[in-house]
Amino acid sequence: MPQVPLTDYLTLAAVLFVIGLVGFLVRRNPITMLMAVELMWNAGNLAFAAFARNFGDMSGQIFVFIVITVAAAEAAIALAIVVMVFRHRAEVDVDDISVMRG
Amino acid sequence: MATLTALSLTILLLPLLGAVLIALAGPYLPRTASAIIANAVMFVALVLTRIVALTLGHQPASAQSLHVTLGTWAHIGPLSIPFGMLIDPLALTWMLVITGVGFLIHLYSAGYMAHDRDYRTFFAYMNLFVFTMLLLVMSDNFLWLLVGWGGVGLASYLLIGFYYDRPVAVLAARKALIMNVIGDVGIMIAMFLMFAHAGSVSFDGVFARAAAIGAPALTWIGIWLLVGAVAKSAQLPLHTWLPDAMEGPTPVSALIHAATMVTAGVYLIARCYPIYDHAPAAAETVAVVGAVSALFAATVGCVQYDIKRVLAYSTMSQIGYMIFAVGAGAYAAGAFHFLTHAFFKALLFLAAGIVIHNLGGEQDIRKMGGLAKKMPLAFWTFAVGTVAISGVPPFAGFFSKDTIIDAGLALHHPILTALLIVAALLTAFYMFRLLFLTFAGAYRGEHQPHDDQIFTMNVPVVVLAALAAIGGFLASPLAGFLGGSFGRSSPYGIAGGGLAPSISELNWPVAAGMFLLAIAGIAAAYALYVVRPSLRDNFKRALAGPRALLLNAYYLDPIYHVLVEVPAYALAAFCARFFEPAVISGIPRALTGMTSSLGDAARWWESGQLRRYGLTIAIGVVLLLAYYAFVIHAGQSSEAAIAR
Repeated sequence: MPQVPLTDYLTLAAVLFVIGLVGFLVRRNPITMLMAVELMWNAGNLAFAAFARNFGDMSGQIFVFIVITVAAAEAAIALAIVVMVFRHRAEVDVDDISVMRG
Repeated sequence: MATLTALSLTILLLPLLGAVLIALAGPYLPRTASAIIANAVMFVALVLTRIVALTLGHQPASAQSLHVTLGTWAHIGPLSIPFGMLIDPLALTWMLVITGVGFLIHLYSAGYMAHDRDYRTFFAYMNLFVFTMLLLVMSDNFLWLLVGWGGVGLASYLLIGFYYDRPVAVLAARKALIMNVIGDVGIMIAMFLMFAHAGSVSFDGVFARAAAIGAPALTWIGIWLLVGAVAKSAQLPLHTWLPDAMEGPTPVSALIHAATMVTAGVYLIARCYPIYDHAPAAAETVAVVGAVSALFAATVGCVQYDIKRVLAYSTMSQIGYMIFAVGAGAYAAGAFHFLTHAFFKALLFLAAGIVIHNLGGEQDIRKMGGLAKKMPLAFWTFAVGTVAISGVPPFAGFFSKDTIIDAGLALHHPILTALLIVAALLTAFYMFRLLFLTFAGAYRGEHQPHDDQIFTMNVPVVVLAALAAIGGFLASPLAGFLGGSFGRSSPYGIAGGGLAPSISELNWPVAAGMFLLAIAGIAAAYALYVVRPSLRDNFKRALAGPRALLLNAYYLDPIYHVLVEVPAYALAAFCARFFEPAVISGIPRALTGMTSSLGDAARWWESGQLRRYGLTIAIGVVLLLAYYAFVIHAGQSSEAAIAR
């Protein structure tokens, strides 16, 4: 069975990561930004899994599980914040939420 | 021994207990309770001290001292400071006076201070003083001696400034404290030197190595100890606080500034006799300071008009005798004069206190006179004290002063002894001048004097008068007792510490001469102040210059003002004007300014814009990766290439 080379996985991970990064930086809707962050998480996960497969070391896959757990926690907190902000405002633009500035 | 240790510890701690009890429980108890507590504490301490003294006195000479180490106070590297007591005949002599005369003065205070607002505070301070004074004489090392030394200075400060609503009293208290702290620093420096040269600050440790330390270092230790003694005992040149200290209540003057605290310097030098025995130059300095102070104070005492200031200068003069004695090597003679002086000078102050009390606070002897008939008890007791201090046999002062003169001659100090002999003549003169101006002639004051018979004031005065009359005969027991402390043959001192073991060993020609001298002084005072008062005016006119010099105590106060106070104030003003704004507040102000401007700069970054934070993180990550890829990784691969 022909193997998909490691480079292809890493390229895909990099592309996903950059899409996520750009999405995070250019969008102002917090829900979209959260999705972009998820994309970056999963780009990382993909790289972990690819390396694990390539080197036959299962710790990469274990890391993926940890990342998924942390990402779930992050999503829960971030969505809670978004809900709280929605209660005070009709629409949410992250550029308007700068109350915590120095 | 265990019992004696417990007794000694009780003696030491009882006055502290009294002070704490009065301070904490006093406000909830009736007014008289504080006096009762203070007096009870003193009485028990006196009885216990008697017991300890009698027990130790019946031991053979070698076992007459009780040295107990209760623990280690501090252990720092090579220095180990014990916490212990040394109760030897020398310490016991002081303890007996502190508790004995101290008890009588506490009793007197119960009557004298009866109408004072701060009755409780007074007794708390008095008990505190007794505690610190006992700590001073019972310690077995210099550190705890210094703790007591500073403690008596504090108690003295509190009691001089007892009438704190009078600015003069507050200034006098401050002056006394500052002068005393100079002495404290002197003792501290001596302790540093002891540690450097002997590696110890306990009496045993230092004295055992005294001979090995050698003259130059030992001389400096002796000189710095002398600085402490001079400040505490009001000797030249640090004496100016003592006359001002008379602003305190009269019992305080009697207890602290006559009988006990001011003699701490004598105790210190007598205690350190192994140091002075091996440092003749330091001992010589001590003797000179004592003799010159004795004469200096005697001359000033001749012209003063405040009854308590005359007594203060007289105290300074008599302590000069003691300091001379211990400096010359006649340690026991100094201790003997301390004992008799405590009796007659406390008596003089307390009798003067009765006069002041009955005259409604008047202290100027120009406004007294003719009081002998109005206050017979004060007159007779004051007369006993005056006769005793003037050196008329068989009263106490005759024997002790004569012992010192004898010792001075035997130890080859002809010039200094001559100074003391002149001072003895002046002593008889100024004391009888004081007696005549106060009690003889006609009354010159405005208030009508009354004669309150207050039991608690009369008893101590009568007891002290008896002691002042017969105290001279304590020489024999004291000589035997102190023999244990000083009875060794030393290259410098004399056998028995310069105290004749019995009256028959007095140097009778000298004694007779001293008696005639006293009579001459008394006769001169009688002639000038009783028989021919008009002669006084002639003398005043003829000797106007010297008289002004003496009235102002040789202008030492103004001189110190110009030499010390003025430069100190100038320096302070300079610092307040330039140093303080530039450095003391300048540096912190620059620091706070720097911090807040840094914060201002950082504020721009903290915009609250989530996406800007994201961009910052992204740029940071890129920079880190670039650093890793192009700097660290590139270096590693080139190293690998070289290795290959």
